[in-house]
Amino acid sequence: MTLKQRYLRIVHALFIVFLLIQFLPNQLTTETYAGYAVWFVVGVEILTLLVSGMIKKSVSLNLFVDIVGFVYGLLIVWTLATAKFNLLKPALFPPPGKVFRQFICDYDKILVNIQSSIGIILQGYLLAIAVAVPLGLFLGWSARLGSAATYISKFLGAIPPIVYIPYGIALLPTFRSVSVFVIFLATFWPVLAGTMSGVMNIEKKTIDSAKVLNVNRFTMLFSIMLPASLQQIFIGCNQGLTVSFVLLTSAEMIGAQSGLGYYIKNYSDFGDYTRTIVGLIVVGIVIVAISFIFNRIQKFLLRWKA
Amino acid sequence: MSKIDIKHLTVDYTEKKKSFTALKDVSFSIEAGEFVSIIGSSGCGKSTLLSILEGINTPTDGQILIDGEPIKGTGADRGVVFQHYSLFPWMTARKNVAFGIKQVNKEANRSERLKIADEFLDKVGLAQFKNKYPSQLSGGMQQRVAIARALAMDTDILLMDEPFGAIDAKNRTILQELLLKLWEGDGSKERKTVVFVTHDIDESILLSDKIVMMTTNPGRVYREITVPFDRPRNRSELVQTTEYNTFRNKLLAMFYSDIADKIGEEVML
Repeated sequence: MTLKQRYLRIVHALFIVFLLIQFLPNQLTTETYAGYAVWFVVGVEILTLLVSGMIKKSVSLNLFVDIVGFVYGLLIVWTLATAKFNLLKPALFPPPGKVFRQFICDYDKILVNIQSSIGIILQGYLLAIAVAVPLGLFLGWSARLGSAATYISKFLGAIPPIVYIPYGIALLPTFRSVSVFVIFLATFWPVLAGTMSGVMNIEKKTIDSAKVLNVNRFTMLFSIMLPASLQQIFIGCNQGLTVSFVLLTSAEMIGAQSGLGYYIKNYSDFGDYTRTIVGLIVVGIVIVAISFIFNRIQKFLLRWKA
Repeated sequence: MSKIDIKHLTVDYTEKKKSFTALKDVSFSIEAGEFVSIIGSSGCGKSTLLSILEGINTPTDGQILIDGEPIKGTGADRGVVFQHYSLFPWMTARKNVAFGIKQVNKEANRSERLKIADEFLDKVGLAQFKNKYPSQLSGGMQQRVAIARALAMDTDILLMDEPFGAIDAKNRTILQELLLKLWEGDGSKERKTVVFVTHDIDESILLSDKIVMMTTNPGRVYREITVPFDRPRNRSELVQTTEYNTFRNKLLAMFYSDIADKIGEEVML
C-alpha cells in the first residue's frame, strides 16, 4: 500500500469535522462535558493512525477505518442532536461527553458487574459443554440409543430455557445458582444435539480408518470422533452462547443485585439514562469481545479444514 | 503353515430384502514375506475380501487364519492403506504417522514416536511436508503419508486396497516404484507380507510374487499365477524383456477370457 492509500481517507476528515462542530455554541443549559468526548475521539484517532501504519492487508485496513468512521459519524450526529441543537429530550438523550464521563466515573462498578455476569456465564456454559460433549459422543456412538436420544434431546431442547427460571428459583437457593442452572440448560441441549449429529454424520470410512488402527474405545471417542464432529459441536456452542447472554441479562434485570442487566435496569428505574446508555454500550462491547474470542478459538481448533 | 490361510470364504449381502453373494467359497493361502495381488474387474469381491482381512467385515461362512489363528476383528498385526480417507484430516502428516505408531507400540514415548514418524516420512520423500495437514497435500502425497504410517507401524502384514487407484498415471508410476523399493528393502530385514488389491495388470506384475485373479458374480478365485521375475525389479528394464511381454499377454488373455466366458463370446487377442 502507498502512503496515500494508508493515510488519505475520509475517516480523518470526519475526525476534523467532529473537532470543528465543538466550536458551535451549546444550546443545552446543563454541563455537556464535551472535553471527555473530544479526548476519546483524539485517542481513537491516534490509534487509527498507528494501526494504519502497521496493518498489512488493505482489506483489513478498509474494514478498520470503516468502523472508526461509523463511530465518528455517530458521535457527530449525536453531538449535533443533543448539545448543539437540542433536538432530543436531554434527560433521555445525554450528550456523548456526559456518557464518557459517566463511564470513567463508574469504571470500577462496571468492571465488577462485567465480572459478575461473565463469571455466571462461564460457569454454566463451560459446565454444560464439559457434560454435553462426552455424553453426546457416547450417545451418538451407540447408534441405537442415539436415535431415541435424538428425539428426547430435540423435545427437551425445544423448551425455551427461560421457562425454567421459576422452577429454578423454587429449586435453588441463590440468584447465582439459578442463573448458572438456566445457562447450563440453555447450552446443554444445543451442544448435546450438535455433538450427537456430528458423531452420527461422521463418514464410515473415517471410522473404518480408525478401526483398522485397532484404537481402543477411549481413543475412538476422544481422538477420532471428537475432532471429526468438532464443527457441529461448535454450532451448538455458538447457539448456547447467544442464548446464554439473552437469558442472563434478562434474568439480571428481574432478580439480581449485580451484573450488567442489573446495572441497566437499576439506573433506568432511577431515571438515570446516562448510566443506562453506558450499560447498553458495555453490554455490546462485552458480547462483541466474547464472540471475537470464541471465533478465534473456533478458527484455531478447525485450522485443519480446507 | 502359511502366514495367511483363507478357507472357504463366503459372503452374502442382504440389501432391501434381496440377497446377493459377494464371495463364494474363496480359498487360497499367502506365505510369509510374500507380495500377493488380488486382481479382478469391479464387483468381483476383491475389496470385500480385503475388508474381512482388515477385520471390518465378517464372512457369512468360512474363515481366515493368520499364523494358524482365526481372525476376530481388527488387529495390531495388520497395517492398512485405503484408496481414500486413510488419514485423519485434523492431524498433520507427522501426527498421523505418530498416531498409528502409538496404537501398536505402547512402549515408545511421544518424542520417540515423532522420531520414528520423521524417519518414515523421510523415506517416502515428505520430510519437508511433515507439518502439513492432509487438506494441504495432493492425493499422491496423502498416499505417501498413509504408506509411511503403515510401514512405521511395523506390522507383519500390510493390506492395501487400491492405494494408487485415484492417483494420476505419472504419480502412480512413481508411487509403485517407491513401494517396490521400500518393500524389497536392502535385505537387512524380513519382508512384510502384503495383500494388494488392484485392477491394474501392469501394477500387479511389477509388484507381486503371486497374482490371484478373481471373477465376478459371484466373486470366486479364477486363477492363481506365480510371477516369475527376479527381485529386485526395475520397471524400465523389466518391460523391455520378451518374457515380461509374453507373461503380460498371457495374463491379459486370461483376464479377458474370463469376461468372454461371462458374455459367451470368443475374444481375439
